[in-house]
Amino acid sequence: MIAPSSPMVRTGIQVATPLAVVVGIYLLFAGHNNPGGGFAAGLVFGAIVVLRSVADIQQPSRARELMAFGVLLVVIVAAAPLLWGDLVLDQAVVSTKVPLLGKVKSGSALPFDIGVTAIVVGLVMSLLDGLGQTGRGTDLDASDDRTEVAA
Amino acid sequence: MSTLIALTILAPLAAASLGVLLRNRVVWRDIVTVIGLFASAASSFIMLFTVADQGSYRLHVGGWSPELGIELVADRFATLVLPVALSIILVVEVFAIGQRRTAWGANPELTGPLLGVLTSGVSLAFLTGDLFTLFVAFELILVSSYVLLTHQGQREQVRSGMSYVVMNLLASTLFLFGLAFVYAAAGTVNMGLLAERIPELSDGVRLGLGAWFFVVFGTKAAVFPLFSWLPDSYPTAPTTITAVFAGLLTKVGIYAMIRFHTITEMDALGPIMLVLAGITMVIGAFGALAQSDVKRILSFHVISQIGYMLMGLGLFSTAGTTGAILFLVHHMPVKTVLFLVGGLIENHEGTSSLDRSGGLASRKPLIAALFAVPALSLAGLPPFSGFVAKFAVISAGIQADAVAIVAVALIAGALTLLSMTKIWLGVFWGSDADQSDILRSQAGIVSTSVANRRAMFGATGLAVAGTLTISLFAGALFDLSEKAAFELRGDTPAVIDGAEDASAINNGGQP
Repeated sequence: MIAPSSPMVRTGIQVATPLAVVVGIYLLFAGHNNPGGGFAAGLVFGAIVVLRSVADIQQPSRARELMAFGVLLVVIVAAAPLLWGDLVLDQAVVSTKVPLLGKVKSGSALPFDIGVTAIVVGLVMSLLDGLGQTGRGTDLDASDDRTEVAA
Repeated sequence: MSTLIALTILAPLAAASLGVLLRNRVVWRDIVTVIGLFASAASSFIMLFTVADQGSYRLHVGGWSPELGIELVADRFATLVLPVALSIILVVEVFAIGQRRTAWGANPELTGPLLGVLTSGVSLAFLTGDLFTLFVAFELILVSSYVLLTHQGQREQVRSGMSYVVMNLLASTLFLFGLAFVYAAAGTVNMGLLAERIPELSDGVRLGLGAWFFVVFGTKAAVFPLFSWLPDSYPTAPTTITAVFAGLLTKVGIYAMIRFHTITEMDALGPIMLVLAGITMVIGAFGALAQSDVKRILSFHVISQIGYMLMGLGLFSTAGTTGAILFLVHHMPVKTVLFLVGGLIENHEGTSSLDRSGGLASRKPLIAALFAVPALSLAGLPPFSGFVAKFAVISAGIQADAVAIVAVALIAGALTLLSMTKIWLGVFWGSDADQSDILRSQAGIVSTSVANRRAMFGATGLAVAGTLTISLFAGALFDLSEKAAFELRGDTPAVIDGAEDASAINNGGQP
């Protein structure tokens, strides 16, 4: 593959990463009332993960844990209103005044969206894991052979 | 009540995510999974009694109105089927915990969490009050079932898994199109509102929608021309997985069909449904006769039995719907138990092929006994639950003067009994040459510990006891099914058909 050896690709991805993270975070917060949301943010984050993995900058790990964490977060947010006797998936909206930003409105939809993001990123990561597995599997086999020869 | 509904759907999902996080701590992972599934099953039982007592309950998720938001409906039909389905999954999970050290044991790291996701999807599919959420639930079930089917990565599994996933994705795509059609025609996908609006549509549009969704749910339920994916894929999966699939997945399809086609008054589709039901029954029964492997025979029976439920639905009378619901309730545990016994046979003999095993009745009478009860029940012999269910469906057919379909149903019943006899002759009687050690070592089964075997036999025994309980409480279950059928059919404000409905109530009152 060209990607890992090309300095253009590597540098480009490294520069793009923080920008894409900002876009992802924007989408995550904008999702409450505007186009965006946890799923879109997760796709943007997932794209970064894919690029960095293809360019061999960083390999993802703990994909399953991330997914499980996301599902757990979503379930907790969904079930939490029950504790106060409200309906399931009811949401609490909080609005406060923050210096510099002015009036900020947020609520329990935010952790829900974060959970969705975690699920999507985890899914992309485990997809990468699965696609890479055949290659890595043969590598392992090869090393096994070598140890056998050595023994 | 709203807490119970939420718990039924969310508890298995939470257990699934905790199960993944705890995957290195085997004991804790199993405990968490079982607790999650148990919580779900327990709350569904409480719901059954509450709804039987106080009537249906509608939950508007997040407080949104039905036109905008998701609606979850715990009516008599849903709460009658749900406890049965959830108990099955719980039993199978216990069996799977016991079976994990054998070659056919599914990978426990995956099975527990994925069964959790599957349970959540099944609960959602039963409880949902709108078509779109039903679509989401179907997808949840499809994704987790696809992984469960193929996770061992054997060539055979991946090949048949492909046809499984392609057929089901096709059905899902049609479902999505159908949703668009329904929304365009009726302006809502909420089933309560559809029950009012669809009957008012012009005949062409109404029946077009009905036929479209018949294809969608028919594919999921493996009705006659659309069943090819089932006997191909089910037998290749690990036994525990097949047990859940056979017990639940096609039944979710038939459940959706009973609900949708009854509330939207698709009576005009009845004759087509009856014809297809007859063909489904016979094809399934003949297919079963032609096979020589326990799991394959049982897989064809799944198809054959779907025909009976479709027949009950196709009659479009209260008695028919009652029969279909009762059959659904009876069929789910019986089918699961048979597959679990198939797993025990495999575990003990090293194969599920009829030709290579034999004489198990003298060596393992317990397995033979565990097999005999659900097998006779499936074939419809009194005093088991299968008899009551078949009797309900067939007497509804006689009431409706549908002689042809009744005759076909009786013949298919006899053929079912014949193929059960075939399993009995092949596995339990026959040559006593004990080849199990050789076959087991060929299959790579490590000998199971006492605790594991205890879990497997315990789970199977529990499930057999469950099917016997169903036949014990057949009267009460018939009443519940009848009430559920009334509610489904009565859901529609029948302005024009008022007189007809009243006569149906009178007929149904005298079984």
